[in-house]
Amino acid sequence: MSATFVAHPSTVPVQERRPPEAPSALSVIGTELFGSWPRIIGTAIFAVPIAYLVWWVLDWTFLESVWRADDVEQCKVAVGACWSVIAARFRIILFGLYPYDDQWRSALASLVIVVVAFLSCLPACWTARRVIVCWVAGFAAYLLLMYGGVFGLAKVTTDRWGGLSLTLFVFSAQTVIGMPLAILLMIGRRSHIFVIAKLSAGLIDLLRAIPLLAILFTAAVVAPLALPEMLQGDKLTRVVIGYALFFAAYQAEIIRGGMQGVSEGQAEAARVLGLGKWQSLFYISLPQAFHKALPATVSQFAIAFKETSIITIVGFFDILASGQAAYGAGEWYPYFKEVYIFIGMIYFITVFSLSRYGAYLERRTKNARI
Amino acid sequence: MPEYDINSTPIISVSHLGKWYGDFPALVDVSLDVSKGQKIVLCGPSGSGKSTLIRCIARLEDHQEGTLFVVDKERQSGKAASERLNGQVGMVFQHFNLFPHLTVLENCTLAPRLVKKLSEQDAEAIAIKHLEKVKIGEKATCYPPQLSGGQQQRAAIARALCMNPTVLLFDEPTSALDPEMVSEVLDTMVSLAEEGVTMICVTHEMGFAKRVADLVVFMADGKIVEVSKPQEFFAAPQHPRAQLFVRQISGH
Repeated sequence: MSATFVAHPSTVPVQERRPPEAPSALSVIGTELFGSWPRIIGTAIFAVPIAYLVWWVLDWTFLESVWRADDVEQCKVAVGACWSVIAARFRIILFGLYPYDDQWRSALASLVIVVVAFLSCLPACWTARRVIVCWVAGFAAYLLLMYGGVFGLAKVTTDRWGGLSLTLFVFSAQTVIGMPLAILLMIGRRSHIFVIAKLSAGLIDLLRAIPLLAILFTAAVVAPLALPEMLQGDKLTRVVIGYALFFAAYQAEIIRGGMQGVSEGQAEAARVLGLGKWQSLFYISLPQAFHKALPATVSQFAIAFKETSIITIVGFFDILASGQAAYGAGEWYPYFKEVYIFIGMIYFITVFSLSRYGAYLERRTKNARI
Repeated sequence: MPEYDINSTPIISVSHLGKWYGDFPALVDVSLDVSKGQKIVLCGPSGSGKSTLIRCIARLEDHQEGTLFVVDKERQSGKAASERLNGQVGMVFQHFNLFPHLTVLENCTLAPRLVKKLSEQDAEAIAIKHLEKVKIGEKATCYPPQLSGGQQQRAAIARALCMNPTVLLFDEPTSALDPEMVSEVLDTMVSLAEEGVTMICVTHEMGFAKRVADLVVFMADGKIVEVSKPQEFFAAPQHPRAQLFVRQISGH
């Protein structure tokens, strides 16, 4: 039979047609894993070691583990995890060398940072004034609680700050200071004024060419030699500014990348409507640039959070260094694994929250399809 | 159709305008006066300088020679980029250029609020009036990408109208649209024309030009080569370039 091609008008009313039913997620996974003999064999080859590993982890983590705080003797005979080390030493992990009796201040200060960070993530908080008020109040409360010296609070100098409390501060301060700096550097680099553009570009490239370690050393050790006494400030302040500059250089390039994705027509439309340069930037270009740069920005925040641990090389005890101190003292020495797993969980929860927040922001603007 | 007064002072006066892109002459000795209420259709082959001309009038491009008077003042050459505009010259773009991160209503209220310092209520009232005029009042809370091309272009027209412009420039407003959406945008433009809005339109839509244009200005190679009434222009173009152009767009 020779092939004949037929085109004719459809005769079935649209209402009577239904799309074929899609297979359920479960049956799709079932087919993927057991759909044919090679798949069954492949599944078996991977499933057995994975199951063994999961069992081993569960067994070590829960079934054979010791949880009582005061009992290092029990840990010596147990084959599972010794969570007692966390119960016994968590204050060092969270607060470092902060004076024991005043550690409630450190806890409260950390809570303030977490609450302010949460608030500034809410869309209701996204006006320049609210963000500024939130963070100025947040940092003021943090510094007041941590440093003391007023309202009958004993003075605690920054060299005794530590643990999770210090990590949270260094992270939030560097990003909150670094983000406006990044926007400034980005604007500078895109400037039509030759000198400003080249200076900004030079500063960005310079900061990106220096290892973070070297920046921190410079801030902690070299700056006091070079700066007049009145400009030196506190070591922690200098180090946080070093972090912020480093963050700003990378973030500036991330936002610039986003800006390049915003079409010229957007700024033209804004201009013809009468918006000024700054209005056009803050109401039209930047919101779209931030949206386009969101995945890279979330990564940069995650990196910034983890790199706070480098602060230990200039003599501060962040959460990781405090963890070392927590198990390092005598009897708990064999249980470093548990300490690192605990700290790892804290890192994971923070970074995972960041990435979920990024996903929320993307979902939130999906109708706009920027 | 309200008549315009050819003897009144022009609100746009282009005189001996010259502009180059590098060595390429984009506009050569272009002169054109537009009176209040007048509707001008600018047409010509691709690269003839018609878009460049209205972008110069909108101050999105600088001219290098000649003088340019727009609405209330002389516009200096070499100063376009730094000049703060005020929405008096409205512009509708080929690709709409709506702000995708703002709703249609916010697109319309942003400039009146920021530039004219209107309150949110006043700006919204004006915006809704214009959105209803272009027949997309019910789309006010949508984001631009949720709208069809024709709806987006009508929203862009409403956005321009919200600044109450003295003159409205259209830069190929229907060229990026699917064919079935061209007429809804043209209908909107016709009703604006009938209200007496001063318009300069870069378009090849002959039907629109015949219906509303007071003058057709035909450009080629950066020069104005023919100016005539639309009926005359499309029926009997004088210049060889215009004859070729009319033959080509009349098509098959």
